[in-house]
Amino acid sequence: MAAFPSVEWFDDVRNIFNNEDSFRGGGGGQCNCVAGIKVGNEIFVLTFEGFECAGARQASLGDLDEVDFYLDMEILEWQAMIENIRQNGHAGLGYTLNTLDLDRDERLATSVHGDQYREDLFFRYNQTLQYFFDASSRIATEFAR
Amino acid sequence: MAKAVKAAAKAVKSPHADTVRKAVAAPMLEIPEPKLTWMNKSRQWGVRVKPGKKGLTLGSLNVGIYGEIPMDWPDQTRNPRGAIGRKGMPPVGYMLRSKAEVWADSAADLYEEAIQRRWAPATDVPWNTVKPLPDDLERAVCQVSTELSQYANVEIEVISAWQHQMVYGYHEVKQYLATAGFDAARHYEVFRKRALINGGGLGLEGAGQVNRMILESRGGWTEAVVYLVLVRGLFVQTILRYLEQYAYNEAERFIYRNVMQDKARLLTYGLDHLKFAIAHNEDQKQIIATLLAIGDGLFIRDFNDPVLREALAIIFGGSIDGARGAGMDVYHDMMRAYISTHLEYCQWLDVPRRVPEPLEQYAPQD
Repeated sequence: MAAFPSVEWFDDVRNIFNNEDSFRGGGGGQCNCVAGIKVGNEIFVLTFEGFECAGARQASLGDLDEVDFYLDMEILEWQAMIENIRQNGHAGLGYTLNTLDLDRDERLATSVHGDQYREDLFFRYNQTLQYFFDASSRIATEFAR
Repeated sequence: MAKAVKAAAKAVKSPHADTVRKAVAAPMLEIPEPKLTWMNKSRQWGVRVKPGKKGLTLGSLNVGIYGEIPMDWPDQTRNPRGAIGRKGMPPVGYMLRSKAEVWADSAADLYEEAIQRRWAPATDVPWNTVKPLPDDLERAVCQVSTELSQYANVEIEVISAWQHQMVYGYHEVKQYLATAGFDAARHYEVFRKRALINGGGLGLEGAGQVNRMILESRGGWTEAVVYLVLVRGLFVQTILRYLEQYAYNEAERFIYRNVMQDKARLLTYGLDHLKFAIAHNEDQKQIIATLLAIGDGLFIRDFNDPVLREALAIIFGGSIDGARGAGMDVYHDMMRAYISTHLEYCQWLDVPRRVPEPLEQYAPQD
C-alpha cells in the first residue's frame, strides 16, 4: 500500500490512469502540461504528455517556478479529497478540483510566474486532471500523519 | 485513339457500353496527351514532416517556406499558404489581412486540442442520472440553460461572421475558430437538451444587451474578441464553475465541466490574440481599455435584469427559500470571482481597468 504523498503513490495512480481507455474520450484526451503538487511543504511534479502522465518526481520549492501551475493544499485537505474519491469512485460534489479551487481563499491552482496563459491549462485540461485523481479510487492509500 | 478503344473494351459490360461504343466509332473523340506542366509547380518540394509524440499536428507542418507567416497577407484569393497562386484569380475581398488582427501563436495547438478533446452530448453525457427535481429548481435550471444556450448561439454567429473575413495566410486561426464555432454549437445543443429532458422546457429569452454589443461590434475581430472573451467568455466561465459546484446530478456536472474546458480554449485563444495585438500596435492597450469602459454600460444593464440572478440563486440555494439567503450569498461570491478573474486578465495584458461603480461591491478589497 503506497503512502500519500510519495512518488510511489503517484506512480500507482499513473499506472491506472495511463491504462484506462475511458479517460481518453468524452472530453478527456491528450494533455500536455507540467503540474506541481504541493502537499504542505512537500513538492511533487507530474508531467503529462499526450494520453499519459509520463512521470512523477519529488521536487523542491524552487521547481515550482518551472511548472505550468501547481495545486496547493495542506495534507489534511488532500487526505479529505482522496478519501472522498475512494468512497465515491470519483470526486463527490465538494471535492472536484474546480470546487476545491472555488472554495478556498487562496486558490487551489496557482503559479509562481503568474502567466495567465499557463495557469489556464488547469481549466483546459480540467477533465483529464480530474480523471487522474479519480483514478486514485482504485488504489489503497495510507496517510502519513 | 488506342486508349479510347481500351477504355471501350473495359466498359463493354457496363450499363454505358453502348454509349461508349458509339463515341469511339465517332471521328470526333480525341484524348489529348497529358501536358503535366503542373507537376513542376511547387515552391518547395521534398518536404517530409514526421509525426511526433502528439501525432502529425497542424503546427508541425510549419517547416521551410510552409512556416513563413508574414505580418501582412495581401493575397485576397483562397490560395493555401505555401501554394503557387494562379494568375488572374478574382479577389475574394477579405477584410482581415494583417497578422496583428487575428493571430495567436497557440491557434494550431488549440485546433488539435479541440478535435482531440471533443465530446458528444447525445452519448457522452450520462443523461440517465437526471432525476426529477422540485418545480422551482427545475425551472431555475431550465432558465439558466435557456440563457447559456442563447449565449452559445451568439458565439456561433460572431465567430462565423468574422472567420470568413480572414485571409488564408493565417489558416491556423481560421481552423481553430472553426472548432470554436463547433464547440459553441455543441453548447447550444447540450443546454437545450438539459432544458428539455426533465419535464421542464425552455424559459425566458435573456436580456441580451451584451449579446447585441458582441454581435454588433464593427471595429474588427480584435474588438469582438475583447467582448467575446474578456467580458462574456469570462462571465460564462465563472457561471459554469459555480454550476459545476452546485450540480444536481452527474449529467449536469459532466456538462458544466466539459463546456468549461471547451470555453477555456476560447479564453486562451483570446488572451493570446490580445497579447499579440498589443505587441504590434502601441495604441491597442488603450483601445481595449476604452472598449471595456463602453461595454460596462451594457454589461450593467444585463446585470440589473433579475432573471439570470434569481435563477442562479435558486440553483445555488436549492430552492426559492434557499435563494434568499445562501443562494444570493453564493451569487455574490460568483460575481466577486468574475470581477477578480476579469481584473487578473486585464492586469496580465497590462490593460488599465477601473471597475464601474455598480460593480465596485465585487472588486477585490486590496
